[in-house]
Amino acid sequence: MRHALAADLKIDSAMTLNQVRVGCDVQIQVLNGPGCERLRDLGFCEQLQVRKLADGRNLICSVCGTRMAISRELAEQVLVSPVG
Amino acid sequence: MVMSDAPSTIALIGNPNAGKTTLFNALTGANQRVGNYAGVTVEVKSGEAFTPHGRKLRVLDLPGCYSLRANSPDEKVALDALNGLLPGEQKPDLVVCVLDASNLERHLQLALQVIELGLPCVIALNMVDVAERAGLRLDPAKLAEELGVPVVPMQANAKKGVVELKQALRFPHPAASEAGWTTDGTDPESARRAFVTRLCELVASRPDAHQQTLSDRIDSVLLHPVLGWISLVGIFFTVFWSIFSFAEIPMGWIESGQGALGDWIKSLMADGDLRSLVVDGIIGGVGGVVMFLPQIVLLFLFIGLLESSGYMARAAYLMDGVMAKAGLSGKSFLPLFSSYACAIPGIMATRTIDSAKERIVTIFVAPWMSCSARLPVYFLIIPLLLHEKEGTWKQASVLFAIYALGTLTAFVIARLLRGRLGDDVSPGHFLLELPPYRKPQWSYIFRHVIDRAWSFVKKAGTIILGLSILLWALSTYPKSEGDDPAEALAHSAMGRIGAVIEPVVKPLGFDGRMGTAILTSFAAREVFVSSMAILYRVEETESEEETRNVLRDQLAASKWPNGRPIFTPLSLISLLVFFIYALQCLPTSAVVARESGSWKWAVGQFIFMTGFAYVASLLVFQTGKLLGF
Repeated sequence: MRHALAADLKIDSAMTLNQVRVGCDVQIQVLNGPGCERLRDLGFCEQLQVRKLADGRNLICSVCGTRMAISRELAEQVLVSPVG
Repeated sequence: MVMSDAPSTIALIGNPNAGKTTLFNALTGANQRVGNYAGVTVEVKSGEAFTPHGRKLRVLDLPGCYSLRANSPDEKVALDALNGLLPGEQKPDLVVCVLDASNLERHLQLALQVIELGLPCVIALNMVDVAERAGLRLDPAKLAEELGVPVVPMQANAKKGVVELKQALRFPHPAASEAGWTTDGTDPESARRAFVTRLCELVASRPDAHQQTLSDRIDSVLLHPVLGWISLVGIFFTVFWSIFSFAEIPMGWIESGQGALGDWIKSLMADGDLRSLVVDGIIGGVGGVVMFLPQIVLLFLFIGLLESSGYMARAAYLMDGVMAKAGLSGKSFLPLFSSYACAIPGIMATRTIDSAKERIVTIFVAPWMSCSARLPVYFLIIPLLLHEKEGTWKQASVLFAIYALGTLTAFVIARLLRGRLGDDVSPGHFLLELPPYRKPQWSYIFRHVIDRAWSFVKKAGTIILGLSILLWALSTYPKSEGDDPAEALAHSAMGRIGAVIEPVVKPLGFDGRMGTAILTSFAAREVFVSSMAILYRVEETESEEETRNVLRDQLAASKWPNGRPIFTPLSLISLLVFFIYALQCLPTSAVVARESGSWKWAVGQFIFMTGFAYVASLLVFQTGKLLGF
C-alpha cells in the first residue's frame, strides 16, 4: 500500500511523512495531531521542505539544513505533498 | 542617564546546539562544558564578562530550548529565568538570542517569542561560517532592520565577533523592540510562522538543491542498520577497554607514590597512636580511593569526546529500539550510560527527557548501572572468588557478568515501573536533533574532566578522609589490656558495633566485621575496601595491588568461631550481589531528591534498592547453602 502511494506521488498528494520514500523531497502541507506544537518548534512548519533520509523505527529527516530523528507516531501527524 | 553600579544581567538563550555554551565560554572564559548533544546545559550557569568600556556584566547561560512553551524541565528553567522566577535571580536586563545562522527558519521562532516577552534583546547570529559553506546568503543588516533589534554575525568557536557582541551589550542597553507581527489580531503562532518564512526569504536565501554534506556521508555508515550497530558496539567496547587498560599506567604511579609516602612517614614518626592514625587510617583509607581517579578521568574524557563530536545523539537514535523494550526511549541512553561512570551526572542529564514519567523511571534505575565507585570492591572480591592473580580473562568475564546483571535488572524494573505509572498525559514521542559532526573542542573537554576529577579528589579529601579517621578511632579505642590485635579489635567500639550487627548480616553469609564495613560503605561505596583493610588490620605495603593481595590472604584465612572459613565462594557471591544492588551513596540520594522534586522518591529508591540487595543476597546465600555449596 505504502509503495503504491509513493509511486503515485503526483496523483495523490495527501500522504504522511511515513509514506514518503527515502530520499524524496516533500513539502509540509498540514500538521494534524497532539504533537504538532512540538513539531513546529523543531522546524516542521507548514510550507517548509523536508527530505526523508532514513526509514525504520524512527525516521530521519532533513529540515532546513538540520537532521532530525522523529518517531513514526509523530511522522504520522505530518501531511506532505511532493515537490515539483 | 544614571548609571547604576550593579552589573547588568545578560541571559543567553537559544535552541540546543546553537552554540550558547561556546559563546558563554568565549564571553566569560569560565569553566563550562560544551557538548554537541541536545541539552548539555541542564542548569543555569553564570559567569562574569566585561564590556569594552570595562563595565561588568553577569552572564547567565540558560539551557537550550526550542520554544518558550516549557515542554521539558530544562525548557521550564529557561522560561523561568527569563521571567525572573528563578530563586535569587532577577529578570535579565538584556537577552542575547543565540541563533544558528544555517538554520534560521527554526531558530528565529524562538527569537520572536523572546521579543514578544518585551525583554530588550540582541541577536547573536552564530555559525555564519557553516551557513556560508552551506551556500546561504545572509543579510544581518536587513534582519536587524526587520526585527528592530541589533544583530551581530559571529563565529563563537573561533572567537570571531565576540568583541562586536560586547559592543552591542554596552550600556545603555537597546530598548525592547515592538513585536510587529502580532498586531493584526491573528493567532500569534501562525503570525510568527508567516513572519519567519517571509524573513528567511529576505535575509537567508537558501540554495535549492539539497547538498550531501560530510555529516550525511558519515551518517550513511554510522546509522546504517547493520554497519551502524557494528560501529556502536565497536565504539563503546573500545571506550571500556581503553578505560581499563590505559588507567593501569597512572594507577601504578599513584600506588608507588602512596607506598613511598607511607614508608617516609613511618620513618619520620615514632611508633604510636599518631603514626598508626596517619599511616593506617589516613594514607590507607584515602589512598585506596584516590587510586580510581585515572579511570574516572578517562571515562569522563570519553563521554565528553562522544558528546562533543556529535556521536552521542546517533547512539541515542540507534538505542531507541532497545530502550523501548524497557519502556524507555533513546533519550534515556545518555543518562544511563553516564551512570556507569557515576549516577550523579547521569541523573542530572535526565532533564532532557520530555516525558516526566520516563524521566522518573530513568532516575529510579540509574544507580543500578554499576558505577566506578563499585570497582574497588569488585577488584577486591573477584580474585578472591577465583583463587587467581589479578587481571585474567576469567575475571574480566565475571566483571562483565556483574555489569550485565545490574543493567538487566534495571531494565526489568524500569519496565515494571513504567507500566505501573501509566501513560503520559500528553504523549511525548521520540524526537531528537542529530547535530552535524564537529571537531571536538578539546579545551572545553579538558576543563570539564579536570572539574570532575577535582570534585572526586575533594570528596576523597573530605567525606572519605573523615570516615577513615572515624573508622580508625572506632577500631582503636577503647584500648584493651593485652597485645593480641584480634582481642584489641573485639574490645574496641567497632568490634562491639560488629557484634550487634552480626545477627542481621549472618543470614547473608557475612560476619560482624563485614557488616561494619558495609555499614561504613553507605556513605560511599569505595570506603568498603579501606574499611576492610582497617578492620582486618592490614599493614600498608609497597603497592596497592600488594595491599589488596595481603588483605585477600587475610580474608581467606578468616574463620568463624567454629573453624569454618568465613569467605567461601558462596558468601563472596552474596557480597557481590549485595554491592550490585544496594544504593550506598548519599550524594546520589540527595541529587535524586532534587531532580525528582521530592524526598519521597529518594527515600523510596533507597529503601527499595537496599531491601532488594538484602533479599537478593539472602536468596543467593540460603539457596546456595541448601544446594550444598
